Amino acid sequence: MAVARSMRRTSPVSLVLAALLAFGFIVFMLSPSSPSASASAVSSHQRQQDAAEHPLSPPTKPFLKSQPVRSDGIQAAPPVVHYNLNNLTSTSDSIANRERILILTPLARFYQEYWDNLVKLSYPHELISLGFIAPKSKDGNAAVAALEKAIARTQSGPIDTRFASISILRQDFDPPLQSQDEKVRHKMSSQKERRESMSRARNSLVFTTMGPSTSWVLWLDGDIVETPSSLIQDLTRHDQPVIVPNCYQRYYDSDSRKWDIRPYDYNSWIDSEHAQRLAAEMGPDDILLEGYAELPTYRTLMAFLANLKDLDPERMVALDGVGGTALMVKADVHRDGAMFPAFPFYHLVETEGFAKMAKRLGYAVFGLPDYFVSDKCPCPSFLSKILAFNI
Amino acid sequence: MNRHYASPKGYSAYPRGPSAFSISPNRYVKRSRAHGWMAAADPIAQIYMDTNSLGPNDSFQPRSQPALRRRRQLFQRLILLGGVSLLLVFFLFPSWRAAIIPTLSLGLLHPSEDLQLQTVRYYDLSEVQGTEKGWERGERVLMLTPLRDAASHLPMFFSHLRNLTYPHNLIDLAFLVSDSRDDTLGMLSRMLQEVQNDPDSTMNFGEISVIQKDFGQKVQQDVESRHGFEAQASRRKLMAQARNWLLSATLRPTHSWVYWRDADVETAPFTIIEDLMRHNKDVTVPNVWRPLPDWLGGEQPYDLNSWQESETALALADTLDEDAVIVEGYAEYATWRPHLAYLRDPYGDPDMEMELDGIGGVSILAKARVFRAGVHFPAFSFEKHAETEGFGKMAKRMKFSVIGLPHYTIWHLYEPSVDDLRHMEEMELERQMREDEERQRELEEQKESSKSKSHISADGSDKGSDEGPAAQPVKDSAKGSSNL
Repeated sequence: MAVARSMRRTSPVSLVLAALLAFGFIVFMLSPSSPSASASAVSSHQRQQDAAEHPLSPPTKPFLKSQPVRSDGIQAAPPVVHYNLNNLTSTSDSIANRERILILTPLARFYQEYWDNLVKLSYPHELISLGFIAPKSKDGNAAVAALEKAIARTQSGPIDTRFASISILRQDFDPPLQSQDEKVRHKMSSQKERRESMSRARNSLVFTTMGPSTSWVLWLDGDIVETPSSLIQDLTRHDQPVIVPNCYQRYYDSDSRKWDIRPYDYNSWIDSEHAQRLAAEMGPDDILLEGYAELPTYRTLMAFLANLKDLDPERMVALDGVGGTALMVKADVHRDGAMFPAFPFYHLVETEGFAKMAKRLGYAVFGLPDYFVSDKCPCPSFLSKILAFNI
Repeated sequence: MNRHYASPKGYSAYPRGPSAFSISPNRYVKRSRAHGWMAAADPIAQIYMDTNSLGPNDSFQPRSQPALRRRRQLFQRLILLGGVSLLLVFFLFPSWRAAIIPTLSLGLLHPSEDLQLQTVRYYDLSEVQGTEKGWERGERVLMLTPLRDAASHLPMFFSHLRNLTYPHNLIDLAFLVSDSRDDTLGMLSRMLQEVQNDPDSTMNFGEISVIQKDFGQKVQQDVESRHGFEAQASRRKLMAQARNWLLSATLRPTHSWVYWRDADVETAPFTIIEDLMRHNKDVTVPNVWRPLPDWLGGEQPYDLNSWQESETALALADTLDEDAVIVEGYAEYATWRPHLAYLRDPYGDPDMEMELDGIGGVSILAKARVFRAGVHFPAFSFEKHAETEGFGKMAKRMKFSVIGLPHYTIWHLYEPSVDDLRHMEEMELERQMREDEERQRELEEQKESSKSKSHISADGSDKGSDEGPAAQPVKDSAKGSSNL
């Protein structure tokens, strides 16, 4: 009995068959790693290619976890890296040209909806880098903690949804004292202080995170929770140096008992003669703010230019001031020096001053009145803004 | 629990039947030992002993047919196994080797799941404010140098680099090579590679970026046209653009300081970064002079872009249109500003500070937070100034401190202007004529033997220095400006 069994087990034919089977099995197991996982593999290959060798590298690049060591056992010095910016493009066909985009967000509070919306963007994620800046306050700490949790989930998830790189910055200056009293908060003097501080945060963010391969910079506020998933493609398609969609807010109208939308961002406008006259009479340190009843400017606000009856998302209007809720800028505009003035620049600050500076550098500024992104609701600052505007 | 119970019983934790060891040459010994152990065990083991009782008898019989066959099969199996594994190795060796490791480990399904990439970076900008003793606190410095057709200056520049006393591993280097027609880029790459491969690791620098970007420079670059008044405004705007591109592509959240340094500085203290840093001001510039040939007076202020604002200049600015740019050092704009350069006393205290409003770009040490706040080199007319002068103005506008050190001097390379060259040619001619004259006279002297030669040559040099400084400084001061 035992002899017979061992005979059967060790017959050469079955052994050869078993060997062949084992071989085939191994081949089968090994092969799928390259061809079959196509998209993901292409994406991860691309990521490997894009990665920097050393941690001392542009924040828009991921870097290898392990560094080469010299023959004498010392960590090798960082490599000499060449960047040819003559080949860098920012065109209407941004995906086909593999143009890298940097999405920048000054973070005051973290909303999961904001992150979910970001992850849903259909632009190839290996071309998207993110940058955040948060104040070193209690709120800032909470926001960063929540952000890091969301990042950890996404960056260890499916490779396709991972972003190329993410930088989190903490501000090096104290945020202006935030009074809880809405009236004080929206007084013009505290507005100026607040927006100047915001300008510094934005400048810190863009000038330290923008890498040599960045083609576009998208400014997206932390409370933008709803955009078309093709936002980036849609905005780059116009091939304009500075372009801004219309920012609306969904809200619950308690009178008509249904959800409705209302304009939100009043910083995108076309200048008026009256406003220019006002500015001419101002002292060098005064700023002209939009949306204050004490100081009507009679500017044409893009918020009210939307043609709700017959939406044409392609319609463009030339602007003189822009808001920062969602703002697409060619990286070259920032590289030439266009920044967010933290001082009165032609009596404008922050994003409005940015538009002015871009124009001084010879760039055109456009808005899309019929293309919407939506802000998080309810937003107390908005409410008081509306109130102030209507008084 | 289960396992603890099982092993003392002698089964399941111990290899069982001889079938598992049918190729074992000493299976009798083994089995008998097993028998001895299992003898104390429960009835199940007893049954095993019964079924295996044939075993010991086998090994005492002479080698039978099945035994021989079994041995042959053993060899066959060994050969086959070796062959298959050889085949496998042969197949997999070069290209699949990397794939085998994850396959054999747990990453069976997602071998590329972990890309070994670090994608998230966290920086606290309040830790990179810049202090007076940056080298002790390990503060990183970004050193920026714009280059154009600068191949001839590179060897000198690199010797300066190597001599810097600030810890090299804390210095990140960045270069912008633009519109160059010579081999600036190739030479730069070679020399950088050499520095980074230096076996002495204290010579290695931190991150090194070489940025190429052409701005389509139409303005001629020879010394004469470079300093022509009409060309200045647009030239300065282009320079500003270049500086901004370089800075915005290479400034990192890790930088505490930014040091701008032109490639054509001939002499500077090795400790310059520490020396400027010690003042702990937001923006600090040294005095920049240049050496001159003796016939031009020996030395001369070079950088006239470092100045204090004057009432006259402010009044002048108000009369100009929006896009006009005031450039210092030209008769067209008489500004009457106090210049850092002219305040130099060679024996003065090198630590003395002077408040400035406009600055020159030959050597600027600034805290990185100045640039983070948004101060840059305006490529448009900012308060009627552009580039480094506009930078000073903007820094002041944002309430940063801007100072110059009148008695701390670095020396810019002297490049003779067209006028200088012509003048030198004339001098050379004159000298030759004089030599000819002398020779003739010598011949005569040999005949007559009367006058000495030294007297005549002393005469000549007197004449040269006479017309040099008198004619040159006003005109030459116009050339005071950095060059790319």
